[in-house]
Amino acid sequence: MSGYRLPAGGRINRAAPLDFTFDGRAHRGFAGDSLASALVASGQMLFGRSFKYHRPRGILGMGTEEPNALVTVDRGETGPGWGRATPNLRAPSVALYQGLDAQSQNRFPSLKFDLGAVNDRLGALFPAGFYNKTFMWPRSAWEKLYEPAIRRMAGLGASPATRDPDHYDATYAHCEVLVVGGGLAGIDAALAAAQGGSRVILIDEQEELGGGALSDQALWGEVADKAMALRRLDNVTVLTRTTAFGYYHQNFVGAVEQLTDHLAPGEAKGARERLWRIRAGEVVLAQGAIERPLVFDGNDVPGVMLSSAGRTLAVRYGVAVGRAVAVMAVHDSGWRDALALKAAGVNVVALIDLRAQVAADLVSAVRAAGIAVHLGHAVTGVSGRHGVSGITFAADGTGHSQQLAVDALLMAGGWTPTVHLWSHAKGSLRWDAGWGAYLPDVPQENCRAVGAGAGAWDLGSGLALGTLPGPKPIWQTKAFVDFQNDVKARDIDLAVREGMRSIEHIKRYTTNGMATDQGKTSNLNGLQIASGSLGRAVTDIGLTTFRPPYTPQTFGALMGHHKDALFQPIRKTVIDGWADARGAVFENVAQWRRARYFPQGGEDMHAAVARECLAVRQNVGMFDASTLGKIEVVGPDAAEFLNRMYTNPWKALAPGRCRYGLLLREDGFITDDGVSARLAPDRFHLTTTTGGAARVLAMMEDYLQTEWSDLDVWLTSTTEQWAVIAVQGPLAREVIAPLVEGIDLSREAFPHMAIREGRICGVPTRLFRVSFTGELGYEVNVPAEHGRMVWEAIHAAGQAHGITPYGTETMHVLRAEKGYVIVGQDTDGTLTPDDAGMAWAVGAKKPDFVGKRSLARPDMTAPGRKQLVGLLTEDPNEVLEEGAQIVADPAQPVPMTMLGHVTSSYHSATLGRSIAMAVIADGRARDGQVIHVPMPGRTIRARVTASTVFYDAQGSRLDV
Amino acid sequence: MSDAIAIPPLAVAGTDLALESNAVLPGGVTLTLEPPASRWSLRARTAEALGAVIGRAVPTRIGETLDGIACLGPDEWLADPPAGTVVPDGAGQPVSVVDVSARGVVIRVEGASAARVLCSGCPLDLERFAVGRATRTVFETVEVIVWREQADMFRVFVWRSFAPWLWHALKAVQLG
Repeated sequence: MSGYRLPAGGRINRAAPLDFTFDGRAHRGFAGDSLASALVASGQMLFGRSFKYHRPRGILGMGTEEPNALVTVDRGETGPGWGRATPNLRAPSVALYQGLDAQSQNRFPSLKFDLGAVNDRLGALFPAGFYNKTFMWPRSAWEKLYEPAIRRMAGLGASPATRDPDHYDATYAHCEVLVVGGGLAGIDAALAAAQGGSRVILIDEQEELGGGALSDQALWGEVADKAMALRRLDNVTVLTRTTAFGYYHQNFVGAVEQLTDHLAPGEAKGARERLWRIRAGEVVLAQGAIERPLVFDGNDVPGVMLSSAGRTLAVRYGVAVGRAVAVMAVHDSGWRDALALKAAGVNVVALIDLRAQVAADLVSAVRAAGIAVHLGHAVTGVSGRHGVSGITFAADGTGHSQQLAVDALLMAGGWTPTVHLWSHAKGSLRWDAGWGAYLPDVPQENCRAVGAGAGAWDLGSGLALGTLPGPKPIWQTKAFVDFQNDVKARDIDLAVREGMRSIEHIKRYTTNGMATDQGKTSNLNGLQIASGSLGRAVTDIGLTTFRPPYTPQTFGALMGHHKDALFQPIRKTVIDGWADARGAVFENVAQWRRARYFPQGGEDMHAAVARECLAVRQNVGMFDASTLGKIEVVGPDAAEFLNRMYTNPWKALAPGRCRYGLLLREDGFITDDGVSARLAPDRFHLTTTTGGAARVLAMMEDYLQTEWSDLDVWLTSTTEQWAVIAVQGPLAREVIAPLVEGIDLSREAFPHMAIREGRICGVPTRLFRVSFTGELGYEVNVPAEHGRMVWEAIHAAGQAHGITPYGTETMHVLRAEKGYVIVGQDTDGTLTPDDAGMAWAVGAKKPDFVGKRSLARPDMTAPGRKQLVGLLTEDPNEVLEEGAQIVADPAQPVPMTMLGHVTSSYHSATLGRSIAMAVIADGRARDGQVIHVPMPGRTIRARVTASTVFYDAQGSRLDV
Repeated sequence: MSDAIAIPPLAVAGTDLALESNAVLPGGVTLTLEPPASRWSLRARTAEALGAVIGRAVPTRIGETLDGIACLGPDEWLADPPAGTVVPDGAGQPVSVVDVSARGVVIRVEGASAARVLCSGCPLDLERFAVGRATRTVFETVEVIVWREQADMFRVFVWRSFAPWLWHALKAVQLG
């Protein structure tokens, strides 16, 4: 209980008290407080338990760099509502509101008494790299024992396990100048950029503009004046509570704006967060600098924190970190902070600086303020476990030591300019010995850095150290470098002794800088320690890469509106509503939803599909095929183009006729297929698979633009122009005949694989006579806006003939009975036309087509390739599992030699038994052989049929 | 804290989205579904070649529009001409004229904040998109053609099956 609220001062509103709880205990703060400042004001110095050793930890910094004080905030409106709980929030960045409910993390059963802290006593057993070394054997124990146990022990907050009830907004924005960082440097940059009338966006992560100046009362007036000036400008957009998390190519910056998290849940209206996707002409980075901790034994005891944090608490929030405060500095800023704290009414008792010489004006000012000065000294130890009770310090760290009773210790280790976004955008960095840090050097984008982040801010001068000197050897100390990942100076030293040389290896071995704070306070100290252990300059051991996000962001913000009903577009045909009203069961195919079957009464899928199949075979069925991809290919070279794309010849196809086309990739493997029609010498109507529509169009367009740009032919997607109604079955002609005008439907005038243009139900149609069922069939293409009307008219006209609507499942069975493949189901991107039993579709005399050359490669014609064949189970009622593996000898020990797998498998009502297709090595040569399909607990026997055609092999039912 | 997150079958929730004829967004922006109209996709090597075949002048620079024809690409135009206009099919000529009247719908986005509504999901700088320009772009994951008819009125062309999603995505936009 060392922190307390100062009687006056700070930017808080003492007239507006706010009640909140931490781990269920009631506290009170004021409007303008952060959770961290309000807790310190009520004497709470213990905020959490460390990741690995469960050591008690307080706050280290008062900004986004904070590694320790991670809390879970539950925003359930009436009691705990776990869907609105957010773990791992940094307490200094959580704005206080009435009723805020925060909980500490990674402790059991309580923050103060944590059983996991036994890890700390056993710390010697958990050195750097211990996961890699200790838990390697036995291998199976990793998944079952070690990893789950480690995850339970070493953790951050618990992930919410219920749906997030909030919604999120997203937008794009454009500006001529984007300024990231709303401190004085950023404000000045925004004001200057706005002079010429350019659109300016200024982003800042804090509750109010001002950045570091909010911790310097002398600058408050300037901040207020300039913030007011910005607000008066129409061309400036100021976004506070907004974090620019990533800087991408061509000045594209991602940012998340918090809209409601600073409000009490009851007052929150609208979206919780907004994703800003900003394209800027110029980006000005004014991200400021982060203070570095000092590395010494005991530097993680709650109450030991950055000097800047103590100053922010005092000046901005009116909170004293302790009743007797010492400052350990190697940098002038610590001296200035001591004076600011003293002026704010904090009892600073001692200023210890490792340097023997410090600017005389600082020394005299601090002495005049009544603070004892110890030059040439270093803190060597901290007493207290849950809070500081005293410190030990010694001349040069190793000499005569003395003790001092204090309850807070501030560390001024110098400053690290924040170059994260600069580095995201691949700007180069240069080492600056004065700062002891890397500074922005040459940008790749139209970007510049200003203020402390550019090294252009007077924070004073100082030393850049790895560790403070001390009496103990490094391996006896608990001097922390990365507070969140519990990496100590000795871990880095150990990594070097074990052979790591690059900082990239040292980082991964020790996990230094790999926590959610991404090493904001640890990277530079880690580098300095490694440099010392290696005896090489800091610049010789590299710098780890900065990657987005700058601070952790919610998934919700990144999703934006893509949630629930708007998750992704569900494409529906114009006939979908009819199917829905008829109780169809749907399935998703690519982005489309398609009717799978139409159950009647209490039918299950098996019964419905059997009924639908028999109806098509015996009478007539109708099917919504609108999702088929369609491409209109137009131009004098249309036939030449298709001849080059497809495996079979197209130039001689007469207008009015259709042809099946097989499309290969350049590697010779099947990628798509479909029936296409020649409408005129220079006009084709192509169809593709439903899922392949976009891919095929892109592939064809690619060839046209890059390979054959001399051809006069163009491709236009007409997938959604046409609704397609397949009418299939022996009575198909009778059903549509009364509705069709201007087309002679007779067998002679309109044969199988032909197209005619005319009218149906009074609207224009492209009427295909094609079949994917093996029966007499038509595919009625009408402009989409008429699709529903024509569908209903055909359905009505078909009543007299027992017309039966059927879905994709029945379509699959009917085509499988005929051995027609579905590309992507029976093929998997490794099948040639010959493998698929479709060598007949390859024009052997054609000089070229896409994939032809690859088909001549030795491996493509070698024996042993998998071939598509039929399978008939010995038990006709046994339906094989699609994807099941096939072996020749089930008695072989595991792992058996696998010959292939089942690609399609159904019960055929027409045949009264099951049928299947499979790809099997040398499949066609195995005609008549028995193969085995091992399943859990049993093995199924089936016989190979070289032909995949199970029904009407002569095709007599098509040509009627 | 329950044991498992109850997640409905993939994306089924979106199947209830349906097009409406009108909607008013919170910021006063209105959405209107335009009635069906005749449209063609036109392709040719040059604007001159196309113009000669269809007997009308066509714009020559990408993004420009002229009398209901927009130039979308180096060899691509969209014809959305006044009612009653018929574009000849150019049979036998080195052009491609394809009727796409039924392929999509047009959503009219109108109001002082129309550009901002579209900017929420469209990566183009629509504030600086001149009146009379048209371009193919995306709204989030959906391909659209945006045609700025007036300072405060955009027409958004979208393929039929994506229209319900787009309509409701526009309605969900919040102007902060």
